[in-house]
Amino acid sequence: MTHRNSKNRLRGLLVAGAMAVAAGPAHAELCGQVGGDLVLGMEAKLGTLDQHVNAANATRNVAMNIFETLMTRDENMAPILDLAESLDVSEDKLSYTFKLRPGVKFHNGKPLTSADVAASFDRYNRIGVDRSALGSVDRWETPDDATFVIFLKEPQASFLESISASTVPIVIVPSEQASAEATRLEPIGTGPFQLEEFVADSHVKLKRYEDYKPNETLDAMSGFAGRKQACVDTVTFRTLAEPGARLAALETGEVHIVEDVPTLSKERLVGNEDIVQTQLKHAALWLNYPNLSEPPTDNLKVRQAIQAAMNLDEIMDAMSDGSYSLNPSFQFPGQTYYTEAGSQYYNQNDPEKAKALLKEAGYNGEAVKLLTTRDIPRLYTAAVVMSEQLKAVGINAELVVLDWPTALGMSVNETEGWNFFFTGWITVTAQGGAQSLRNLADPSNVHKPKDNKSDAEFMKQFQILSTSPDLEERKAAFAKAQERVFEQVMAIPFGVTPKNQATRANVKGYVPFFNTRVSNVWLAE
Amino acid sequence: MLAYTLRRIAQAVPILLLVSLISFGIMQLVPGDPAAVLAGPNATPDELIKLRQTLGLDKSLLSQIMIFYGNLFQGDLGYSIILGEPVLKVVLERSPISISLALYSLALTVILGLSIGVIAAMKHNRWIDQAAMTFALIGVSVPNFWLGLVMIVLFSVHLGWLPTGGYVPFFEDPVGWFLAATMPALSLAMMQIGLLARLTRSTMLEVLGQDYIRTARAKGASEPRVIIKHAMSNVLIPVVTVLGMILSVLLSGSVIVETIFAVPGIGALLGNAILGRDYPMIQGGLIFVAAVLLILNIVVDVLYAWLDPRVRVQ
Repeated sequence: MTHRNSKNRLRGLLVAGAMAVAAGPAHAELCGQVGGDLVLGMEAKLGTLDQHVNAANATRNVAMNIFETLMTRDENMAPILDLAESLDVSEDKLSYTFKLRPGVKFHNGKPLTSADVAASFDRYNRIGVDRSALGSVDRWETPDDATFVIFLKEPQASFLESISASTVPIVIVPSEQASAEATRLEPIGTGPFQLEEFVADSHVKLKRYEDYKPNETLDAMSGFAGRKQACVDTVTFRTLAEPGARLAALETGEVHIVEDVPTLSKERLVGNEDIVQTQLKHAALWLNYPNLSEPPTDNLKVRQAIQAAMNLDEIMDAMSDGSYSLNPSFQFPGQTYYTEAGSQYYNQNDPEKAKALLKEAGYNGEAVKLLTTRDIPRLYTAAVVMSEQLKAVGINAELVVLDWPTALGMSVNETEGWNFFFTGWITVTAQGGAQSLRNLADPSNVHKPKDNKSDAEFMKQFQILSTSPDLEERKAAFAKAQERVFEQVMAIPFGVTPKNQATRANVKGYVPFFNTRVSNVWLAE
Repeated sequence: MLAYTLRRIAQAVPILLLVSLISFGIMQLVPGDPAAVLAGPNATPDELIKLRQTLGLDKSLLSQIMIFYGNLFQGDLGYSIILGEPVLKVVLERSPISISLALYSLALTVILGLSIGVIAAMKHNRWIDQAAMTFALIGVSVPNFWLGLVMIVLFSVHLGWLPTGGYVPFFEDPVGWFLAATMPALSLAMMQIGLLARLTRSTMLEVLGQDYIRTARAKGASEPRVIIKHAMSNVLIPVVTVLGMILSVLLSGSVIVETIFAVPGIGALLGNAILGRDYPMIQGGLIFVAAVLLILNIVVDVLYAWLDPRVRVQ
């Protein structure tokens, strides 16, 4: 049984997606030209294409050109159908019925059926990194080859946001792959490109999938979904970890697109007529979060003093070479849940207030250990600047510099030996309100509250944010939750950096996004 | 000679086992695990626990050791956690890349290092000697990552002679291999060229002052004959010893150069395995590198014994 309002709402979802298409060419001319070999210079090294068990950008950048999902995110990161052509939600909000797009085939030639969708969900539920997205699911069924039904244990307003999240997407793979162990998945998808060659740490080469069935509900690509076409014959993602070498490869024409152009190199490229620079304005939120179980940051007054002492302009300027925007929110500007609630606590830069709060807290020179890493230079720079700001108000700040896995492991597993952990939220912020604050809610690896219980008021608002069927109520709850985070100093957002990319001038149709998309991109002669 | 060789091989086995045990122990002591790296900083505790179970990281240390050595004695180095492929297969795929790069670097080192050293010694205290030693000093002083970047700007961006990076298999395209490997090999070799040139010069100067060299010259031997036949055979003894060490450095010390030039060799493989806490890959890679270094040392020792019979007697 379906509900008319639900249908309308979901039709609205699709329409919203249709309006938010990437600023590429219209339907009839997705590819200005067909053919050629596109080469991209990637910043990060790529170890696996098993998208179910990897949260890394490097994997997603390649894998999401091979795989597709039932639902994904559009250009504005709102949920949108992809391999499904329709979705009906029952009146009681307990069952979600997806009808699959007809004619879709996997790269091995096998037609996509609901059995493949069920197998993919089975595998994700077994080993998927973000399997909590399926936490409210009771079961799924496949009444026929084209229908996939998910039954929930209880209504969950954010369910579609959860299963469409692009952090660790639930990509659809052939049912034979359901038993593949973690990282041993064969990269066979339904996307416009199929794998030709993968040499870890070196390159991944994709080629056009000739039998690709595009999503014709939209005129162009929108986010991860929409109408896609492989314009080029092959795409090679080359790992060029060193920024200088990456830019040199772009300048010589060995690669056509590079990601992460260093701010200081942008000026040099301006005069080069062969190169076009592009930017995704809000790409990453940089922040740190305190350890609430370790003195002296177990003391709210000390945390508030630290918050008051910080000059976030200085921190962001140093870590991004001046390419940043301040952002008193856990969402990017323009996102549905964006709010500046609690911004009075943001970027205070008030040393006198900090000193007064320290006195009130009875702070006695205990070490405040800033846990960071040199593997991600921005995090190290942020910690160095912050430590100087803290010292200036009389706080005994110490740097604890470890390699990334050790620092990450320490922040996850230990409640001693550190007071602030530095990190960046890249895709999490983009996923929406509930996903961005989930890190501070119970249960969490990130947040280290006393007795492992997060703040009660925050949890109350987070619960509303996760479950309320009313968007306005959810937005209000997000604002209150965010304000509580600022008040209790559960995390300190520094600001947002853009994603600077550059292409050769003959690359057409490339639109920057949270992921690298190579569909609808062509090479002009 | 055969007994000597067999004795050296027998000594290598316990060393290899010790390396495997140390590498296993160190990785268990280091905080952080591959599940956290794969899952990223935003995974929930439950998600991490389940991923650890999936990857077999929840087993006790003892059972992990038993499994590791049980497999090792059957020639199985296990599965890479990150790459999802057998460690041995990956190592065997990558090792020719590093070995070919190291051998190219060694060839550059030997040709340039020996030539510069010999010429400097022959033109002792003249401008050629000064120039050669200045070059050698620059070689040992300049960091290879900086040299690599400068070469990319010069030879790729401005002159367009060489590709900025990547690797072309030798047997698929020898010319492509030569072009792609030249800058990485040169930046890897530069320090070793400087060291070898200095060593060769000082050894050659010492040898050229010996009585038998004066005797050869007094008997009317030509200068090339004096250098090649009489001096070089004695210069080579310390040089061969150093060459073994140089090859070890070239094989194991190429992480930065491989990263700059995007060469998927053993160095890059091990570097990434360490950053990803890919325990089987680290252990397998280290055992492989240790085995290659041990073989190299044995070859050098045998060569040394062949060049200098006194070593065999000792």
